[in-house]
Amino acid sequence: MRVLLVEDDRMIAEGVRKGLRGEGWAVDWVGDGAAALDALALVGESHSYDLMLLDLGLPKRDGLEVLRALRGKGNGIPVLILTARDSVADRVKGLDAGADDYLVKPFDLDELGARMRALLRRRAGRSAALIQHGPITLDPATHEVKLSGVPVALSAREFALLEALLARPGAVLSKAQLEEKMYGWGEEIGSNTVEVYIHALRKKLGPELIRNVRGLGYTLAKDL
Amino acid sequence: MRSIRRRLLLTLLSIVLAGVVTAGWLIYRQAQAEVNELFDYQLQQTAAALPSEPFPAVLSANQDDTPRGGDVVIQIWSHNGTQLYYSHPRAPLAPHAELGFSTEHTPRGDWRVYGAVIGDNVVQVAQPLSIRNEIAALTAWHTLWPLVLLMPVLGVLVWITVGRGLLPLQRVTQAVDARHPDALDSMPDARLPIEVQPLVQALNRLLQRLGVALDTQKAFVADAAHELRTPLAALNLQLQLLERARSDEERHDALADLRRGVLRSTRLVEQLLALARAEPGAAAGSRAGLGSAVDGGAGAVPGSTRTGVVDLLEILSDCVSERMTLATHKSLDLGFAGTEPLSVTGDAVALRVLFNNLVDNAIKYTPSGGRIDLSLLCQDGRAVVEICDTGPGIPADERARVFDRFYRRAVSFDAGLGPAAAIGELEPNVGEVSAGDAAAGSGLGLAIVQRIASQHGATVTLSDGPAGRGLRVSVRF
Repeated sequence: MRVLLVEDDRMIAEGVRKGLRGEGWAVDWVGDGAAALDALALVGESHSYDLMLLDLGLPKRDGLEVLRALRGKGNGIPVLILTARDSVADRVKGLDAGADDYLVKPFDLDELGARMRALLRRRAGRSAALIQHGPITLDPATHEVKLSGVPVALSAREFALLEALLARPGAVLSKAQLEEKMYGWGEEIGSNTVEVYIHALRKKLGPELIRNVRGLGYTLAKDL
Repeated sequence: MRSIRRRLLLTLLSIVLAGVVTAGWLIYRQAQAEVNELFDYQLQQTAAALPSEPFPAVLSANQDDTPRGGDVVIQIWSHNGTQLYYSHPRAPLAPHAELGFSTEHTPRGDWRVYGAVIGDNVVQVAQPLSIRNEIAALTAWHTLWPLVLLMPVLGVLVWITVGRGLLPLQRVTQAVDARHPDALDSMPDARLPIEVQPLVQALNRLLQRLGVALDTQKAFVADAAHELRTPLAALNLQLQLLERARSDEERHDALADLRRGVLRSTRLVEQLLALARAEPGAAAGSRAGLGSAVDGGAGAVPGSTRTGVVDLLEILSDCVSERMTLATHKSLDLGFAGTEPLSVTGDAVALRVLFNNLVDNAIKYTPSGGRIDLSLLCQDGRAVVEICDTGPGIPADERARVFDRFYRRAVSFDAGLGPAAAIGELEPNVGEVSAGDAAAGSGLGLAIVQRIASQHGATVTLSDGPAGRGLRVSVRF
């Protein structure tokens, strides 16, 4: 899952980035409001962010301004406000401006991850915490994947790839789209890493789970 | 005597007493004059009533009597000098006669004597003066005793009246006492006597000043708390990452991050402290400690002001030489463009903090290979320190705001970078956050500079660098 992190404090940004990357998120980081809007505008429809983490006290354009501009353009990306402003009035203002959740600094990385997962769950229209597809069960919180009830150990990247595919079962995702979900800016991407991880997943979860649609990309088999 | 009431009572009673005594004296003198006139007349009448014919001597008329009280002593001589009559032979009068009124001093007091020639005889009538004085004194006393009697009553009345008069003060005291510590609104002065109004008005002015100072402090504390939250949030994150670290390498990285985070928090707290001490309204004495936090406490003695003549060149050269290593490491050409030996009167420690902050900023924001020039010159009789760098500068519309506390500009890592440009830009930065970068963006440096400058009556102005690029900071004393 790809996240846009808008945060002007470098240390916090790095901390969040490292923490989330460890959980398999792809994190892009910008340091001010204008750059956040640029990033969202640049990334097209196929290239969308799954979530935005937004600080409020930003240089150039304030977080609330960014949020209003975003919602004004009809962008429905889930937004979690991450800020030091803790008054009730600020929370109300933030949520009313179009945020989906509000977390006050200092925060716990586990809680941040849980809230992000909850937002994605809600957006996908799921109420269950577990994602189920055929014999495969994926728990976004614990990163546990089970095949017919038997736990399967996956690396963070493998997990991110599987999660991206499970988010839209049946849809064909291009290699570029999958890379988007797996890597943030500045992360080294090998030329055939997606193939490498697909191969690993097939090995662990069975060869017929992920199908290759030649010239288009990959999709999950519907009839498992 | 601290009590207005007691002082007023004593003063008023003393004045009244002095008045009574003076009045008594005057009445006494007046009465004395009147009594004299009356008694002289009486002596004259007595003398006139005595026999004018010669008669045989009757010397022993009143043998045993010494004259008493208002007794009149009478002597009669025949025309040849023989004493014919002496009413009180023991009276201490000289045995000679003087015509008309005279006052005779005798061992037993003064006597009023009247001598006259009545027919063939010489008559002398005398009376002690003491009786007259007694009567005069009595008259004066009779007039004054009710006043003396009234003194205690007067005292009580003064006591009560003064107490009443001071009641508004008591009301003000109670009103001030009953105030909530946070209540700094003005006290009503409309119904107070005009003597108390200035006090209450002065009090209100003080409250107002206190209110402003308190608001400033509150805003500062609120800002500070807010700003402390960010580095603490970062520390919190770094700690969590450390806990999650699975390999030694990850743990090592996380520890390094955590150390930088702690360094930054420390720096922020130090800057906050420096600013709090430089705030107007901070006790003048505590200003001396200004540098202790920032400079590592090089012998700063708390509580002593160190205002004196400060050699600016010395401070600037110290400042530059301390930063040579850092500048060389960043490939910056740090040096002086022109110097004059100039001194100002001020706090050397505070001025060091001022210039250290400015030079640190220049080093921080000037990219590698850049140049930083310091110059110390005299313009219109004022010492001017200029620091020019070849960094990105500050746009004119932002120049006023950078002096605000906690104002941070977005130049440090994402100036004008779109997402595409940012790819590959962020990653290399991660590993090379130096101690200087860790201190970056406390947002207080220029606020501190501004405060210290205004304490020294100096102005700080920002303008374009020499070639139209970079930043020129001018401090004019």
